[in-house]
Amino acid sequence: MLSLAGLVLLFAYQPLSAQSTPSTDLASTALPNAPVPTGGSDALDLSTAVLLQQQPPAQNPAPGAGPSLGDLGLTPAETDGNAKQQALLDRRTHMLKLHQRWGLITVIPVAAACISSIGAPPEHGNYGNTASRDIHVGLGAAAVAMYAITASYAIRAPKVSNAPARGGIKWHKYLIYVHAPGMVLTPILGAMAFNQINSGQKVHGIASAHGAVAAVTAASYGAAIVAVSWPIHIKF
Amino acid sequence: MKKLPVLALVLLTPLALNLRVVQAGQAQPDQNWNLDQSTLTYHMSHPMHEVDGVSRAARGKGVCHAGECDFLIAAPVKSFDSGDSNRDLHMLQVTRGAQFPIVQVRFRLPQSALNSPTLDCDLEVQFAGNTAHYAHVTFHQVIDGSAHHIIGVVPATLTDFKIDPPTFLTIPIKNNIPVRVDMLWRPA
Repeated sequence: MLSLAGLVLLFAYQPLSAQSTPSTDLASTALPNAPVPTGGSDALDLSTAVLLQQQPPAQNPAPGAGPSLGDLGLTPAETDGNAKQQALLDRRTHMLKLHQRWGLITVIPVAAACISSIGAPPEHGNYGNTASRDIHVGLGAAAVAMYAITASYAIRAPKVSNAPARGGIKWHKYLIYVHAPGMVLTPILGAMAFNQINSGQKVHGIASAHGAVAAVTAASYGAAIVAVSWPIHIKF
Repeated sequence: MKKLPVLALVLLTPLALNLRVVQAGQAQPDQNWNLDQSTLTYHMSHPMHEVDGVSRAARGKGVCHAGECDFLIAAPVKSFDSGDSNRDLHMLQVTRGAQFPIVQVRFRLPQSALNSPTLDCDLEVQFAGNTAHYAHVTFHQVIDGSAHHIIGVVPATLTDFKIDPPTFLTIPIKNNIPVRVDMLWRPA
């Protein structure tokens, strides 16, 4: 009877074990194999066995290891740093900071040239008084020279992306097509007007456009500064 | 005959113990989670500018094992778009985004807490070559079927990552750059 009872219980146990495949798998994968007994029973063998028991199975990550960047599908090309590219970015930023600084300082001679233009034309046929005109010429020359320095920093800044410009920088770049030719034309027309006045003539021909061209140039230059700062939300 | 109950007990004890192991395993099985959609938005403040930079390129994965879940979210720094390409390139330079191209967020949660309406997370954020820890950051969760919609704000600052604040007209931006997080997770 005892044997029969034992057999019944054994059969009852086996199917249940077979049904619980996940737990069996879990046990077989999560738990390490028992150390194989060896003939010796010295301390070294015992410590090795303990170590074997403590080592997690290779197929299971150690608790707390967590996913890696590779698990997210990111390749080393995407995750590895590029010191050369960083140096390029640093250089670009450095040069554009200088571009910004010189650009803001250049506002001063541009504005001063515009203001001094009031006294530049000869008054009531007095072509001999050249002091105010000379000041205007000097300020205009300074504005053009500083504009050239400003532009040179932007031109020489390394290009790090071929993506099309977006946002305020796009308008900042569009306005180059207005103020850059203007900065070339304005002094040429100014020189022509200056020579005509010095020779006792009334400003005529294309030279008479000097004031208008200068005004458009100064306005587009100011707009370029605003554009790169746009949108502006004053909040202190 | 008196020995039969004893034998039955002896034979049933390992069975009962085995069932308990099975039940415990079924209560918190190993599970993986995938980040399905995400929007990460940093906010930058300057006396003349308020700027939001958005990235929808984050990837994430969660691995639950033995009742603990480890999550990793990673996004390329260059994927943040503020609407101005020049500003984005400058952000990339300031944050050393070419040298450290990925921002990584790791956190661990008990598996039993994954269905809570609020998640209290201790975040480890790697960004700009530095690691910052944010303790007890609360995220709100809405569960819709298998989708877990999680929102929250990481209270990041520039100084946490040793980033020199960029200036405009010589005025630096504010130190706080909170990152708004909007994620949709699904079990794998």
